[in-house]
Amino acid sequence: MLKILIPSILLLPSTWLTPQKYLWTTTLSYSLLIASASLMWLATPSETGWSFLNCLMASDPISTPLLVLTCWLLPLMVLASQNHLMLEPINRQRTFISLLISLQIFLILAFSATELIMFYIMFEATLIPTLIIITRWGNQMERLNAGTYFLFYTLAGSLPLLIALLLLQNSTGTLSFFTIPYLPSTCSTPWAHKMWWTACLLAFLIKMPLYGAHLWLPKAHVEAPIAGSMILAAVLLKLGGYGMMRILIILDPLTKELSYPFIILALWGVIMTGSICLRQTDLKALIAYSSVSHMGLVAAGILIQTPWAFTGALILMIAHGLTSSALFCLANTNYERTHSRTMILARGLQTLLPLTAVWWFIATLANLALPPLPNLMGELMIITSLFNWSMWTLILTGLGTLITAGYSLYMFLMTQHGQLPHHLISLNPPHSREHLLLTLHLMPLLLLILKPELIWGWNA
Amino acid sequence: MAPPIYSALIISLGLGTTMTFASTHWYLAWMGIEINTLAIIPLMAQNHIPRAIEATTKYFFVQATASATLLFAGISNAFLTGQWDITYTPYTLTSTLITLALAMKIGLAPLHSWMPEVMQGLNLLTGLILSTWQKLAPLYLIYQIQPNNPNIFIALGLLSIIVGGWGGFNQVQLRKILAYSSIAHLGWMILILSFSPPLALLTIIIYILMTFSLFSSFMLTRTTHINSLSTTWAKIPILTVSTPLILLSLGGLPPLTGFMPKWMILQELTKQSLCPLATMAALSSLFSLYFYLRLSYAMTLTMPPNNPAGTLPWRLNPRHNTLPLALTTTSTICLLPMTPAIMSLMPF
Repeated sequence: MLKILIPSILLLPSTWLTPQKYLWTTTLSYSLLIASASLMWLATPSETGWSFLNCLMASDPISTPLLVLTCWLLPLMVLASQNHLMLEPINRQRTFISLLISLQIFLILAFSATELIMFYIMFEATLIPTLIIITRWGNQMERLNAGTYFLFYTLAGSLPLLIALLLLQNSTGTLSFFTIPYLPSTCSTPWAHKMWWTACLLAFLIKMPLYGAHLWLPKAHVEAPIAGSMILAAVLLKLGGYGMMRILIILDPLTKELSYPFIILALWGVIMTGSICLRQTDLKALIAYSSVSHMGLVAAGILIQTPWAFTGALILMIAHGLTSSALFCLANTNYERTHSRTMILARGLQTLLPLTAVWWFIATLANLALPPLPNLMGELMIITSLFNWSMWTLILTGLGTLITAGYSLYMFLMTQHGQLPHHLISLNPPHSREHLLLTLHLMPLLLLILKPELIWGWNA
Repeated sequence: MAPPIYSALIISLGLGTTMTFASTHWYLAWMGIEINTLAIIPLMAQNHIPRAIEATTKYFFVQATASATLLFAGISNAFLTGQWDITYTPYTLTSTLITLALAMKIGLAPLHSWMPEVMQGLNLLTGLILSTWQKLAPLYLIYQIQPNNPNIFIALGLLSIIVGGWGGFNQVQLRKILAYSSIAHLGWMILILSFSPPLALLTIIIYILMTFSLFSSFMLTRTTHINSLSTTWAKIPILTVSTPLILLSLGGLPPLTGFMPKWMILQELTKQSLCPLATMAALSSLFSLYFYLRLSYAMTLTMPPNNPAGTLPWRLNPRHNTLPLALTTTSTICLLPMTPAIMSLMPF
């Protein structure tokens, strides 16, 4: 574990000490090196399930894919931000890269934490760099509101979580992941137990986000610069899902009844946010609402707690992370050329930018869960296990799949097909950097078709 | 101010608090607090502008009222129990009266209204003394009287956290914001004082570190209004990195030091089975986080609308020593991993 963590920490001094000419090259190559080294976590045949152990950190089949995704994302963020940061003074560029690196450090510590309080502190710690990235380097005035919503929605959920964890520690004496599954459940008065159950889950549901508490997400995703959108969509939402998976083990006897309203909200959110996507004019907002939609399915899957559902949720989290990040990069290529996120201002791009159209096509197909991509595997496993839990969910999930296909196709046709608008005379052709960026997003997704066991979680 | 007078006043400030710390007799405790009040009055009025005189007068009236009430309560206690020991207050009447008098002294809600007004009239150094040194003696006395039911402390504490947060919402003057932040943090201290006095000590030490670094940052750039915060980037750019972190630490965000007292206090409250209280206190501290966030927006995360080149001031060497600022800022940002070591030093 330290083999990856210490190089990530030492990326910080190397960002500040590298001469200006080599800043981006150095950070990109070293973060890519760390990302390749992090692939070693995927080889984890262990009897107890936990591998790469030390006192404070460990990885198990659920956290490993998320850890690898986190490490993989840093070079991609560095690649994506290079263009829009080129015009800024060198110290601000270094500060931005330092914020990305500190996010990676906190995320590695969060996913590999073996104690719930450590996980909580790192979960909260990721808020500060993200807030600074969104509000300092966002482009519109609404970014201030976005930062405030982001911070306060998450904190309003996570402070009750802190109190619930402290309560758990008082009654069980420890909060270590190794021993939590074997502890007796904490019994108190029924009302207090229900409150405690809700307090444990609320923070993660807000982070996922669950449909009723999702308002921070479109704001934050839309106003963030490309690296902010990428890390938010790909990893920070999955922190919520990962936290839920970890903590549901101890919440057990109550979960059978208390999870009903949240499952219903999640599934209803799939349809509602999907329908919102069909009427969006802002490209990034469309991708943001599509994130809410996919995460609603993940939330419902995690809450029913069957093995297939957990596996499906984990696969969908990884696949959605890569796909959503790729879509944001594509939206950013539009934004860097036209400086607008409105879709009707950049139509028919297949004529102007045919190579990017290929990437749009693959990313759109991934978003609508085309077989044999892992997106489909995840969605299908969740839908099947939900059907097993209750037949009526099939109506909601089936409708959700239909609407997902609808808005993904809408996004593709709107941006790529049709006539070019009259004001678009010429656009810069796609840079090799952008092609590399999208390859690095979509190639892992295609490779995962060949070995999905890597992201199956506990069923591997 | 002439150096002999200045040093006499500072030494008197130290003397007053030390006398209260060393006392077991009500007269001596009251005398220490009065010496403190008398010593700080000329310090508050040192620049002789009307606003400062107004602040001094308000401070004097409030503190005199509180001291008189304190003396009255001490004498009543001596009458009822027959002895002058400050630790022996078995009657609820006297202990409540003493608690409320001392609450007015330090500015706990609902006796807090004087605090923003007074703080606004002072220069930043005197404001720093007011919000850190002047709190020590009354807090010590509140701890000493050891009342048998903690309800009044819980009420004072929770109300102070809420008022400290809500009151600062609409403020643009930095000194008033600092006053409300002081009220909120004192609320946290009082909340835990009856359950675990070492934690209250931890809270006040960490609060002094954080407030010292924030006041020092404002003193370096001579800012007293949110608008003047936004030109910090032109004066001392490194402060635009450190001050938002200090502000977020004051707001209690992990992984900064300000999270440590809140975490430990919430842990103690849950051990005492006071979970709804803990939840309410934690969520009320989000109010204060809102205006700290607004300050960091103004300072770092947005550009001021005026012409930056036209407002570029001369960047001279700072006139006073920046070593304390460096030390306290580092401890405000980086001390959270030391929590186990610090907790093992606490006498439980």
